Amino acid sequence: MQLRYWLGDVEEVGGRPAGTDPTELAKRAAELRTGMDSFVPIEWETARDCGVVRTREEYVDLLRSVCTVLARQKIAQSYQGRDVELLQMVRMLDELDNVINLLSERAAEWYQVTNPAFSRKYRSLPAKKMLGIVQKGARGGLSDVADEIERLAGTRSRLMREVSARADEVMPNTSALIGGLVAARLLSRAGGLPALARMPGSTIQVLGSERALFSHLRGGTPPPKHGIIFQHRRVHNAPKAVRGRVARVLAAKLAIAARLDYYRGEAVPEFLEGAQARIDEAGVEA
Amino acid sequence: MIRIGNVLVSPGEGGVYGERTLDGYRVWDPYRSKFAALYTLGGGVELTPEMRVLYLGAANGTTVSHVADYVETVYAVEFAPRPMQDLLEVARRRRNIVPIMADANRPEEYAPFMEAVDLLYQDVAQPNQVEIAMRNIVFLKPGGHLVLMLKTRSVDVRQDPAEVLAGARAGLERRLDIVDARWLDPYHHDHAAIVCTLRE
Repeated sequence: MQLRYWLGDVEEVGGRPAGTDPTELAKRAAELRTGMDSFVPIEWETARDCGVVRTREEYVDLLRSVCTVLARQKIAQSYQGRDVELLQMVRMLDELDNVINLLSERAAEWYQVTNPAFSRKYRSLPAKKMLGIVQKGARGGLSDVADEIERLAGTRSRLMREVSARADEVMPNTSALIGGLVAARLLSRAGGLPALARMPGSTIQVLGSERALFSHLRGGTPPPKHGIIFQHRRVHNAPKAVRGRVARVLAAKLAIAARLDYYRGEAVPEFLEGAQARIDEAGVEA
Repeated sequence: MIRIGNVLVSPGEGGVYGERTLDGYRVWDPYRSKFAALYTLGGGVELTPEMRVLYLGAANGTTVSHVADYVETVYAVEFAPRPMQDLLEVARRRRNIVPIMADANRPEEYAPFMEAVDLLYQDVAQPNQVEIAMRNIVFLKPGGHLVLMLKTRSVDVRQDPAEVLAGARAGLERRLDIVDARWLDPYHHDHAAIVCTLRE
């Protein structure tokens, strides 16, 4: 009987070493298939008897180099997909939002202290306008911070456009249904396009509301109707009575769209047309 | 196992992940490492210099580096690319770690690299943890040990952790003898350590 190992094939009498070059060995090992029924672990002494290595240290060293080459190849391969970078981009975007909010809140608090007569009450002061006031009125450190926040906000909007464009490219069908940004957030929560494509619609529907979901599963609380997909106007603009239905239908179509994106990689107009109509229909109150 | 006072340590080159050192030994923190927690609580399998270990779920190589300080060779299996990058760096500096990027669910992927081991250590966040262990005992020498870190929350969040543990014990007892099973509180919640030996 012949046994196939990383360093060569071993027969009952003697073995056939496959060489000592780690790259060559890795290439061969990557294509090795082993049946587990007749599997016997290798003994390093076999390698010594075949003359591949002289000592145990040499054996482990060679094995380590081969495994490292293989691992590096696999890592490079898994980072190759366009979706992997999109994942980091959208996470950075959400992190930027957080940071900008935190900094603006703190800057506003600081500004109020330097200007005792100032109050935000009875004025509609969105963060952006508030920032303008701070920039004009403040001096020193505070105005530096305000400038920095403005720069960050610029970075954020450029990154947002990039995320949107990349999402349209990587997941054209999903983006067409729910917009590039929300599509990218779904991707980020799922952990990648392959993972998203394997998810059922019901999971996609509640992605991002894990807290509510698990509290429901553990005991009693009502189940969440929507997670990240709530961010899309079709869900949050829908009348309360039909919001759950819209979320469910949308999520079901998203599951199909994600599969089209992963396996076909291009927009499918026939599908999109039908899906859009079906989702619109779900939003009509009976 | 080496202890200084009550502190579990391992001998080896420090600075792997910013761990403290004591008298030249690396402190092995039970709050960070479940294996260290098991030893701190008085359980575990004595690691000896001639041991060969298969480590499933190697992650960033933090615990792996401590195990490698004690034993002869560690086969460290990890599936995710991001932690694998760190593991490769740890393996580059420790000559007795063999880094394998593969899925512990599919032992046939790394079987061609494997020799028989004295200890199978498993710490994977998968629902079928017991099944994975059973698939990997082909690599274990008769009489060898299995240390299974059972993450009950990964098996089923809805089920009571004690029930998950009972289920896991029943599954393992088909081919192994359970030596010890204990919870890792207060270091790790809802985690149990099961120590078994393979029937001869």
